[in-house]
Amino acid sequence: MEITVAGEVVRLLPERAMFWPRQRALFVADLHVGKAAAFRAAGLAVPEGHLADDLSRLSQAIARVGARRVIFLGDLLHAAQGMTAQVIAQVAAWRRSHADCQFLVVRGNHDRRAGDPPPEWAMECADEPYREGPFVLRHAPGLSDAGYVLAGHLHPAVSLRGRGRLRARLPCFVVSPRQMILPAFGGFTGAAVIRPGAGERIYAIADQAVILVNDGMA
Amino acid sequence: MTAGTEAQRTALARVEQYFAARGWQPFDFQRQTWAAYLAGRSGLVHAVTGAGKTLAVWLGPLIEALAEGDVAAQGRRARDASPPLRVLWITPLRALAADTEQALGEPIAALGLPWTLERRTGDTSSSLRAKQKARLPTALITTPESLSLMLSWPDAQARFAHLRCVIVDEWHELLSTKRGTQTELALARLRRWRPGLRTWGLSATLGDLGVALRALLGQGADESAACLIRADLPKQIVIETLIPDQIERFPWAGHLGLTMLPRVIAAIEANRSTLIFTNTRSQTELWYQAILEARPEWAGQIALHHGSLDKTEREFVEAGLKEGRLRAVVCTSSLDLGVDFSPVDCVLQVGSPKGVARLLQRAGRSGHAPGCPSRVIGVPTHALELVEFAAARQAAQRGQIEARPPLNKPLDVLAQHVVTIAAGGGFRAPDLFAEVRTAYAYRDLTEVEWAWVLDFVTRGGQALNAYPEFRRVVVEDGWYRIADQATAQRHRLSIGTIVGESAITVQYLKGGKLGTVEESFVSWLKPGECFLFGGRLLEFVRLRDNTAWVRRASGRRAAVPRWMGGRMPLSTELAGAFRAQLEAARQGRWDEPEMQAVRPILELQAQRSRLPAPDELLIERVRTREGHHLFVFPFEGRSVHEGLAALVAFRLSRRKPISFSFAVNDYGFELLSPDPPDVSDLPALFAPDGLADDLVASLNAAELARRQFREVARIAGLLFEGLPGRRKSTRQLQASSNLFYEVFSKYDPDNLLLVQARREVLERQLEESRLMRALQRIAAGRITLLDVPKPTPLAFPLMVDRLREQLSSEALIERVRKMQSQFA
Repeated sequence: MEITVAGEVVRLLPERAMFWPRQRALFVADLHVGKAAAFRAAGLAVPEGHLADDLSRLSQAIARVGARRVIFLGDLLHAAQGMTAQVIAQVAAWRRSHADCQFLVVRGNHDRRAGDPPPEWAMECADEPYREGPFVLRHAPGLSDAGYVLAGHLHPAVSLRGRGRLRARLPCFVVSPRQMILPAFGGFTGAAVIRPGAGERIYAIADQAVILVNDGMA
Repeated sequence: MTAGTEAQRTALARVEQYFAARGWQPFDFQRQTWAAYLAGRSGLVHAVTGAGKTLAVWLGPLIEALAEGDVAAQGRRARDASPPLRVLWITPLRALAADTEQALGEPIAALGLPWTLERRTGDTSSSLRAKQKARLPTALITTPESLSLMLSWPDAQARFAHLRCVIVDEWHELLSTKRGTQTELALARLRRWRPGLRTWGLSATLGDLGVALRALLGQGADESAACLIRADLPKQIVIETLIPDQIERFPWAGHLGLTMLPRVIAAIEANRSTLIFTNTRSQTELWYQAILEARPEWAGQIALHHGSLDKTEREFVEAGLKEGRLRAVVCTSSLDLGVDFSPVDCVLQVGSPKGVARLLQRAGRSGHAPGCPSRVIGVPTHALELVEFAAARQAAQRGQIEARPPLNKPLDVLAQHVVTIAAGGGFRAPDLFAEVRTAYAYRDLTEVEWAWVLDFVTRGGQALNAYPEFRRVVVEDGWYRIADQATAQRHRLSIGTIVGESAITVQYLKGGKLGTVEESFVSWLKPGECFLFGGRLLEFVRLRDNTAWVRRASGRRAAVPRWMGGRMPLSTELAGAFRAQLEAARQGRWDEPEMQAVRPILELQAQRSRLPAPDELLIERVRTREGHHLFVFPFEGRSVHEGLAALVAFRLSRRKPISFSFAVNDYGFELLSPDPPDVSDLPALFAPDGLADDLVASLNAAELARRQFREVARIAGLLFEGLPGRRKSTRQLQASSNLFYEVFSKYDPDNLLLVQARREVLERQLEESRLMRALQRIAAGRITLLDVPKPTPLAFPLMVDRLREQLSSEALIERVRKMQSQFA
């Protein structure tokens, strides 16, 4: 799904990421690496598996669009307790398979407590707000006078209703004239159902498709 | 009573004097219970209604103490000089603990015993807790949760070294719940430490008292020495119904029943003090508001009571009832139990009674004065509930009272208990295995299941490599103990088996706390919006620190919080009685007043469609703007219908790609789809063959186990929800149970907790065995499919039900293309 924001053409991807072709930059929010490990360290038995799935979905997005840069809009990490040797090694190995990509982390609330990613991941870090062309990169949404805001943090999802009283809850992008909120990328993150506001376009992700489901700008 | 020692006879004489001084005389069943206790026996005292059970079980230990020469030292009752912990009194409701303390304390004082008596529940002050941590009183009133917590103290065994007796109050309430299972495990532990321990239970009369007794005393108890004592004082119970004046105008659906408001007000006026039971907390709020609007001059004389209100508020209402200050209280099951509200002379039941035992129990809340009958008046909220009240009266007359089967080895409760014991000093696996198997619920626990539980608490699961870094219970030289203090602390916070949605405190900006609402409700509120709570109109200001900050509001438009919590199914007994009433109607017999009233509605049903015969399954097909509706009426109760709806939807979805939403109630279920389903070969849809496999598949397809998994996961310690107000430090450890369910289904589908969640859905929610019997009944009869032009009286309540599950064999994208986004 191609749309134009801040005068730039961007693509909303069903992998739950946004791609900016002109800079070949891929934006990803709320991966929450190490969340399951943090739970286990605290005595809550959660199976692993979602990290491998998340990384392979990210690889798929990078390869499909030919991204050169990957920019995390906060909450790349979940908690310091989740940064176990195994998690660090797993991401480091994955990172090596994308040696030609640059990675930038705009720190989110979880990152600030968890600390920056280890050096072997070779990722730069910056505090929000971070200027990038016409965009202001943030973790928590909030309008800016300095440019069009790209943010995450909310893990937005939308609830749909159809004939036969059928319902579906889908992760979504929330696009408004001055800000876009990305869905959470991580598979073990959960979502919050939003009430679409006036002036917002909602793009939902259903399997391999991104669909405009609500046009609050019309 | 003739047996016993000389000292016991002297002590007994003093107790008889104690009765005489109050103008009472002991009942035979009380004397019988004392004798049994003194003879070292255990048992269960039960009654339909009526008092005297408390003194029957409580005076045994006191007579024993008198006989042994426990005497108060010179009027001074030093806490440290009192005898050590002898009696544990377990109550299911901490709200009851205060009244229990008063009732138990009176004879202690009158008999001059040097005993201390205290409470330990979630409400106990921290200073008293600290004292108890140093030394427990002679008799302690506690809840199953607080008892488990004490078992997690590292020196637990020493604390209970002098325990002689455990008394479980309202055992019927605990029996078929996980709290009951938790109690069984705690009793097994106490019996191991104190082999001669006597256990006594108090219970309402149930369908299967023998099982209730065995579950209380544990496996391997000497059955010949176990006593089942009936404490019945003849008591008349009257079940009546408010009959709507104009049945033609009475709603066919809905659950509020406010059309009956004038009649309810008349009933309140005709009595001194009335309890109005409703089935949900939201209903309580709305009824209270409606009564107050109709009779503004009753402000201050009426009140409401439900489990989400703040404790001080609830206690204020309870005190008002006892003192006869309140004309009426609108309440939920929060007032089902305990405390005698003697002034109450009228009980109303708004909406379906759901079960016979439950209605009798509520009736028993009135008419405490000697010679007065207990009376309950049904208030139907829609036409078919008239049939339910007639059915309930008939079932009660025939003594068709529901049994409450204890649960069968829930592994989540066991996992929690094992961690509790690991914290409470630790254990060796074979010893604990043997001990646990003395609990009735776990009498058939296998070695394999036990090994899984041990794996779960030590390694997180079976698949070793799937759970690195996991630490909860550690093993050294065969000795299992808790991993560390932090883990023990976190475990103690999550002990218990009551699972609610995460609660948000409701508090005034100025400070006063009002109670709790569910997080999901608050998350839909925008600042400035109003809602009804505790009988007040409140404006939501903001959400901060897990508190919904509010201020008083005036104005009109208000939301009412919906508290989740199961919709209770019609019991098997009541469902059967309901079918009997319908059959009588079909044959043209309209004996009961309720049936006479509902006659025009049932005749309309017969005219538009039909009243099904006992061997006939009626299916009505209707097409509306919403899509294609199938209404199916087995009259088996909501739980069976939930399973049947999923099963039939699943079997239809195999015939062609199609999506259904379905609604269920106690009479039947509705399948609704945008496209017409293939309804050829109806018997195949209901065939009992392949039930087990198809049911599991449909359960997965409709994700029915999702909700049950939350409870299982939380009890087993998989989900950590912390406590309201203490959540900050643990926020990064929280995830929704839905998320857990997805992660487990995807990455560890054979996890035994998932398996248990499915089993619980099958056994308890869908009642698989009941479902099988229903299918066999259908298979032996005939199926009638009728096309009806308009929804019938039977179909209407289903059609307007918004709470739906769904099942689909279409691709997500196909479904989404047919939808639009939905606004709150």
